[in-house]
Amino acid sequence: MGRKIIDIPLGSQHISLLEPIKFRFACENEKIVDVSSDVGFVHRGIEKACTTKFAYDAVPYVVARICGLCAITHSLAYTTAAESLLEGVVTRRAKYLRMLLVELDRIHSHMLCLSHTAENAGFEAMFMRIMGDRESVMDIQERITGNRVQFDYVSIGGVNRDITTDIEKEIRKTLAFIREKTHGYLEEFTTNWSLSLKFKGVGVLTLDEAYRYNAIGPLARAAGLATDVRSETDYLPYNEIGYEMRVGEGGDIYSRNIVRLFEILNSITMCENILGGLPEGEIQTKMKGKPTGEALVRLEAPRGELMYYIRGEGKAMLSRVRIKTPTFASIPAFIEVFKGSEYADAPAILASFDPCMSCTAK
Amino acid sequence: MKKIETTLESVVSDLTAFYDYKVWEFLTLNGVAIDEGTTEIQWIFSRYGAIDDVVIYYAPVKNSETVPSVVDLIPSAIISQREIVDMFGITVENSEKGLYLDEDSLSAPLATCRI
Amino acid sequence: MDFSRYRKRSPWILHYNAGSCNGCDIEILAALSPRYDLERFGVLNSGNPKQSDIFLVTGPVTYRSRERLVELYNQMPEPKVVIALGSCTCTGGVFRGMYNVEDGIDRYIPVDVYIPGCAASPELIIDGVVQALDILEKKTKERENAKRLYSEPTTENGITDRSNSAQKIGTGGFSPEEMKPNSPERRENEED
Repeated sequence: MGRKIIDIPLGSQHISLLEPIKFRFACENEKIVDVSSDVGFVHRGIEKACTTKFAYDAVPYVVARICGLCAITHSLAYTTAAESLLEGVVTRRAKYLRMLLVELDRIHSHMLCLSHTAENAGFEAMFMRIMGDRESVMDIQERITGNRVQFDYVSIGGVNRDITTDIEKEIRKTLAFIREKTHGYLEEFTTNWSLSLKFKGVGVLTLDEAYRYNAIGPLARAAGLATDVRSETDYLPYNEIGYEMRVGEGGDIYSRNIVRLFEILNSITMCENILGGLPEGEIQTKMKGKPTGEALVRLEAPRGELMYYIRGEGKAMLSRVRIKTPTFASIPAFIEVFKGSEYADAPAILASFDPCMSCTAK
Repeated sequence: MKKIETTLESVVSDLTAFYDYKVWEFLTLNGVAIDEGTTEIQWIFSRYGAIDDVVIYYAPVKNSETVPSVVDLIPSAIISQREIVDMFGITVENSEKGLYLDEDSLSAPLATCRI
Repeated sequence: MDFSRYRKRSPWILHYNAGSCNGCDIEILAALSPRYDLERFGVLNSGNPKQSDIFLVTGPVTYRSRERLVELYNQMPEPKVVIALGSCTCTGGVFRGMYNVEDGIDRYIPVDVYIPGCAASPELIIDGVVQALDILEKKTKERENAKRLYSEPTTENGITDRSNSAQKIGTGGFSPEEMKPNSPERRENEED
């Protein structure tokens, strides 16, 4: 065999991709030796629109449209930053309700990723099972907020809807159902050969590489790097509701799946604690004035750390909104993982990153 | 949030002295248009495991100047450098255009923030 | 082989994200999943434009996806139906007027079904796809009974005769006499 290097493209339109991203793998026989990526297919120009088209109190609903999966984290991060500039205080009840939605969002986003990983392993039945169970989380989101996906739940000053005892009962029932199902998935993902043995040692990110390339989110935690913004910030009282960091080892696809599954279980516990300790009070506080100064807010989205930097000059329009999304920051780490892998594993590795291109390109 | 001013000449040496890859997480490279023709470039870091320990190195950059690349020190900076090049129309060492924008797109959309 | 009978029973979907927020895309997945089960209409999500009948587009068309969108549309075989899924796909929605966005896909390709909503719910997606199935059947019928402009030329004794083929088109209301190049009636008409 000669040492000939062949370029094989993946994307921008491909059956295993939900969103357009283009990779060009330089392969030597089956091994990937070099990768180049093109991520700009979904660039819409939201950062500019936030400073020219929309006033600061409309921006939470615009930034939610960056990504449908982590919409709540986007609007929450922006709102927290804007509130710190307006120097308003949000009630504890509103904070708890915000955390509830963020954790529900994390549960269904991780379930989507796991189902997608199973599909890429050729396990269509598992894909259907997880997607079917995921609907129950979507249902309670619809009950709480009024919409399944783009729920504009968070606004500056608090949240837009309160929950009633009826809804609370339903949430508890659903959480118990999801917990039982997740234990089932855990067994499936650890014992079924197509999901465990096939994924062990594939797409490895070592701990040193994770540090070096600033990996974040489940990708980093699966490699053993203990980083989670939920434990590194204090806007939201995560320490009160039983947050635990779960760190995996190995950094392969298998480990990422297990980290995600344990995060689902932890999120379920957190949601139950939120409902148990939900403080009484108003859900909205009036905020006065116009944002002045600069603020930087970090939040843990399902895929990792989300950062908002905003700067206002006392006008209705902000002068800068900078959005650093998790997938955008992880792309150098993605490329590092691809190098040295087999080309046939590429779709499975890509699905295990849970990439979100709409976030990346904004 | 701690802000440290630096200059384009000294930024690489400053960051080399500052950045330990097992202590600091490089968040991103940010730009803010201050006025016509000047952009404030920020290198943002946060400490692993500490609560809200964010450090921002910043330097004002004229559009004619070239920003030095920090990829040798921080490999993950490569993608945000390309974004800054597209968005602000400035030049950064070893970073080509075209991450987001096409030939017929608006060039340097964030360079000035006129309201 | 005649596939038209089976086309309505099992149309394949090609999905392309032309810059949407991902919300509609996961709703498509949800619509294909067991709760809503779009597959009961025989619908299958295929990644290959050359085997697809329904083109499901989400997103307001960003500059970089324009070429791919038109290319995918052109690669799909006739008859095909295009569904614009989501508010931003129909009109640009919240992204209308942003600098890297065209407002809606109908600036580039013809659209048969518009599905509004941000994000469009799976029920609406099912309604839209079922509507698209009717349009697909109509388009299939139109193709079967297409008006033939020319009949096949006949070949006798090795000589190809095309004289009949022109007559079969019809004379457009003129009598055969009028159709002659130098007939007086025709000259009069032209002078009027």
